[in-house]
Amino acid sequence: MARIAGVNIPTNKRVLIALTYIHGIGRAKARDIVTKVGITEERRVNQLSDDEVLRIREVIDREYQVEGDLRRGVAMNIKRLMDLGCYRGLRHRRGLPVRGQRTHTNARTRKGPAKAIAGKKKVTK
Amino acid sequence: MARSVWKGPFIDGYLLKKADKSRSSGRNEVIKMWSRRSTILPQFVGLTFGVYNGHKFIPVLVTENMVGHKFGEFSPTRTFHGHAVDKKAKRK
Repeated sequence: MARIAGVNIPTNKRVLIALTYIHGIGRAKARDIVTKVGITEERRVNQLSDDEVLRIREVIDREYQVEGDLRRGVAMNIKRLMDLGCYRGLRHRRGLPVRGQRTHTNARTRKGPAKAIAGKKKVTK
Repeated sequence: MARSVWKGPFIDGYLLKKADKSRSSGRNEVIKMWSRRSTILPQFVGLTFGVYNGHKFIPVLVTENMVGHKFGEFSPTRTFHGHAVDKKAKRK
């Protein structure tokens, strides 16, 4: 068991993949970290020595914003827009797409599951 | 895509003049303006602009956080009051 950046405990996967279990680290950053620490990607997490795990932890702490900090940062950015009263903030407040997508149809990711409209007839063939 | 830095912020020239004028003379006056596409510059902080939305001039008090945004972002052009409940369908 290796504990990196707080609560994340990636198991017996390859280091490159295991690191992507951390919020804020994808394949590209995982590859960066691995090369900086000087381990081959093919190594599995359970084959790493304590020292190597420590070095990974140091690199992440030093160079990347990860997990809680990252989430907080993103939430702050959204909050700033909402407090400002600008168009993007208004869209966030209403839970609608922010970047000019259509809302006549689709936009279900932002709007959530479709709500039934009372009295609308179902199309039958 | 973001605008190139070497171009500098876009702004309609007449705004600078208007801002200077209101700074030096009568204070707390809404500066009517149509240039929604102009960037908000640091020297506009504290002034109130009436940004036209095609219908009315929406008063926008410029604060420090707004610097770098466009004026148009603070003056919504559409009004949506929600959908009316369909009375006919309810009765049935």
